[in-house]
Amino acid sequence: MTAQRFFPIAVITLLLLALANLMFGAVSLSVEEVWKGLYASSENHFTIYEYRLPRIFLAILVGAGLALSGALVQGVIRNPLASPDVLGVGHGAGLAAVCYMTFFSEASTRWLPEVALAGGILAALVLWYLCGARSSAIKLAITGVALAALWASCIDFLMLTKPLEINNALLWLTGSLWGRGWAQLQALLPWFVLIPLALGLSKYLNLLDLGDDSAISLGARPQHLRLLALAIAVALTAACVSICGPIGFLGLVAPHLTRKLVGGRHQPLLPATMLTGACLLLAADLAARTLDPPIELPAGILTAIIGAPYFLWLLLRMK
Amino acid sequence: MLISTFKQLGLLLCSVLLATNVHAVTVEDSKGSFSLDYAPQRIVVLEFSFADALAAVGVAPVGIADDKDKNRVLPEVRDIIGDWQSVGTRSQPSLEVIASLKPDLIIADISRHEAVYDDLKKIAPTLILPSRRETYSDNLKAAAIIGKIVGKEQAMQERLALHRDKMANMAKQLPSQATVQFGVARADALFLHTADSYAGGVIQALGMQTPQSDRDDSAYRQTSLEQLLAINPNYFIVGHYTQPSIVDKWQSEPLWQVLQAVQNKHIYSVNPNVWSRCRGIMAAEHMAKDLLTIFNKP
Amino acid sequence: MTRPFYGLTIVLAAILLLLLGWWNLFAWSVIPIQAQDVWLSLTHFDSQSISHRIVQDLRLPRLLTAMFVGACLATAGTIMQGLTRNPLAAPSVLGINAGAALGMALVSTLPILYGALSTSLAAMIGGGVAWLLVMLLGNSWRIGGNEHGRLVLAGVAISALCAALTKAVVIMEEDQAAGVLTWLTGSLADARWQTWQHYWPFALAGLFGALLLTPSLNLLQLGEEHARNLGANLLRSKLFGSFLVLLLVGTTISAVGSIGFIGLIVPHMARLLVGQDFRIFLPVAMLLGATLVTLADTLSRAISYPMETPAGAILALIGAPFFIYLVRKRTL
Repeated sequence: MTAQRFFPIAVITLLLLALANLMFGAVSLSVEEVWKGLYASSENHFTIYEYRLPRIFLAILVGAGLALSGALVQGVIRNPLASPDVLGVGHGAGLAAVCYMTFFSEASTRWLPEVALAGGILAALVLWYLCGARSSAIKLAITGVALAALWASCIDFLMLTKPLEINNALLWLTGSLWGRGWAQLQALLPWFVLIPLALGLSKYLNLLDLGDDSAISLGARPQHLRLLALAIAVALTAACVSICGPIGFLGLVAPHLTRKLVGGRHQPLLPATMLTGACLLLAADLAARTLDPPIELPAGILTAIIGAPYFLWLLLRMK
Repeated sequence: MLISTFKQLGLLLCSVLLATNVHAVTVEDSKGSFSLDYAPQRIVVLEFSFADALAAVGVAPVGIADDKDKNRVLPEVRDIIGDWQSVGTRSQPSLEVIASLKPDLIIADISRHEAVYDDLKKIAPTLILPSRRETYSDNLKAAAIIGKIVGKEQAMQERLALHRDKMANMAKQLPSQATVQFGVARADALFLHTADSYAGGVIQALGMQTPQSDRDDSAYRQTSLEQLLAINPNYFIVGHYTQPSIVDKWQSEPLWQVLQAVQNKHIYSVNPNVWSRCRGIMAAEHMAKDLLTIFNKP
Repeated sequence: MTRPFYGLTIVLAAILLLLLGWWNLFAWSVIPIQAQDVWLSLTHFDSQSISHRIVQDLRLPRLLTAMFVGACLATAGTIMQGLTRNPLAAPSVLGINAGAALGMALVSTLPILYGALSTSLAAMIGGGVAWLLVMLLGNSWRIGGNEHGRLVLAGVAISALCAALTKAVVIMEEDQAAGVLTWLTGSLADARWQTWQHYWPFALAGLFGALLLTPSLNLLQLGEEHARNLGANLLRSKLFGSFLVLLLVGTTISAVGSIGFIGLIVPHMARLLVGQDFRIFLPVAMLLGATLVTLADTLSRAISYPMETPAGAILALIGAPFFIYLVRKRTL
């Protein structure tokens, strides 16, 4: 598929998924009822306007943000198995959130996103401190993996020694869009000024693919470029994770899938990845709400269930 | 059929409430002061203890967060309130189902539902009270608040007085010196409910002892056979979530026989759902009756 | 490395293991046990004494299992590092632990599979599939750093996938989240004679098999070309080695749950002590692994006394910083 054909198809899919998200759920509504629900006079006003609509926007933003940071990380580390997870940001945010929930169990959950955001960024700073600006990309990734393992073991340790808080913490750690609304959307939106910046990097990311020496001779500064791209990826991931909890695999699978469809050049790849990520998370959240209503399954688990067959398919195709 | 039941219930409630003639009431909940200037007709509750409190004064909620399993609601409560609609899990209730029920009062738990308190308020006035971490006496206080807000203060006070009488009567028939330990058993773990837990509070309210622990910062604690031996209660009451549970596995071990409760054949099994998930006036009475049957066994 | 010094290391490690094991039998017990009780329970067992019975019925099987768990995981890590010639290879890093946990979760929660496979077989199959996927994925993309890093990244991806699926399976089955974590973190608290009886024959067979494999592992370190020129049957040793890893890790996980990082840390410690020869450092690694798990098990009773913290959580807390250290030390 070429980029020219990908974009219209992806946009239409996105719109259809958004419409499906508005119509289906524990309570199914017709298109007409959905339309009326946008107005305050409707009896479905809460369900449509206060509940499903902000959740759709959040799914689009979080899906796009995580997928974009995945593409950036894969572009910098030049390994298609890398993802924002290897920077330890998600686990760092998780550790901060779990610490907050266990040590300040009486405190309001209102500050949880801020705490998680701080944790995610702190984790990235620790990684940067350990690696410095000069280490190779793959070393950065493996150090990130090791750091993520450390944060994860701290999370397990805390949850096992403070069992009372385990339910809330684990619920947060599986990642979900449940109960997120306009307020969370407002908190997330400012971070997306980074997107034009990331898209502007795509030309230079292509140069990185040629190897450092060629990139330098073509006028790029690989070290600065890597740092900037990773910083954007960290900020976007931390912001998304702080709102929804870690949503696994999106950052790994979405860029991968998109690369298969539109090729490896970053100019079409980065925006296309954002569309794919948004579609994937919208689909996962739709499934989460409609599979077993009124029970809400965590969207993070559903993205993993979608990711698993894709991985197997990938392996089969390699033969 | 469901709707007609609701209508009938609503009419019934209307007539009852008109008779009692309720006006604006104000109570203190976990977020400060909460007032309501009408008697709520369509109530959604997000924890079992709230359903128990409503049932204690004969009010039927239209929706309960029952984890999509009606059997989790205490049978005594089910008998009083009739049918209801499930609004999903207690940890993540479905807000769209709650909204579709068009409630005029939502009762939520501060520990589980604080994150969606603002959303719930957009659907209907929301009374937020402690439930998940509550003790026995907290629960009775919450019941009194709920009684007041649904315009049944008088009835609730009478019901609470009756409850205290019942518990005191049953306490007389129970041995006061015995130490009783309750725990829920899963396939690979036993969780004891300590003196700080709800079940521990009920046992104490019945005049019996709960084993003292030297570390009392947790109401529920995962316990190995060795730690159970150290606690060594006179009576051990188990709720098995799965069969065979870890306690069944332990029974084949020689050390199990060393337990005082085993030697005196004082191991009893109860319904884990009632003892662990349900809390409230009727739940406590149910638990007390379980204990009476246990202790008056020949 | 001279032979006498090697012998001395072995003896010292064994003495350390015995001392720690002895300490493990009575330390941090909720029901007080004196050191002499341990001795008496072994020589003059009195079935009326609670402390004697605790030593006999709980502590001894737990200690023996802990020692074997340590030895098995250290051996599995050593073999994996030998086979892949990758200093970062270990069961937990390359996805075997996560895959085995997923296999166990699937057979014990899905009604279709229930009873079709034994849990240890399911753990072996799950671990094997995960490892295979990691090797395939890690070797299929030639770009992006050297082989060491690629394998680790593939391991992380597969581990995360398995862990998420395990969580999904268990959450759908159990309403209480606490169950998921006890599932995923290995603990020795429930190791009894019964566990031990099912465990030791396989573990012992795996450990002996590993000792037989050491000459081939030494040859492999010379590089595949050299090894082949020297007449080694590479395919056979690789298959045998992989089978041993799966046997050791699968039976261990089905006995006590998933315990990570032992397989990563211990081979490096052993290599530091006695050098590169697999024939020499594998036995040292076994002893050190046993010592480390015994120590972790003792600590698991101490850290939040009188409650128990699973030994797997403690080892992860020790192991993760070491992982970071290893990564930083190596030029990748």
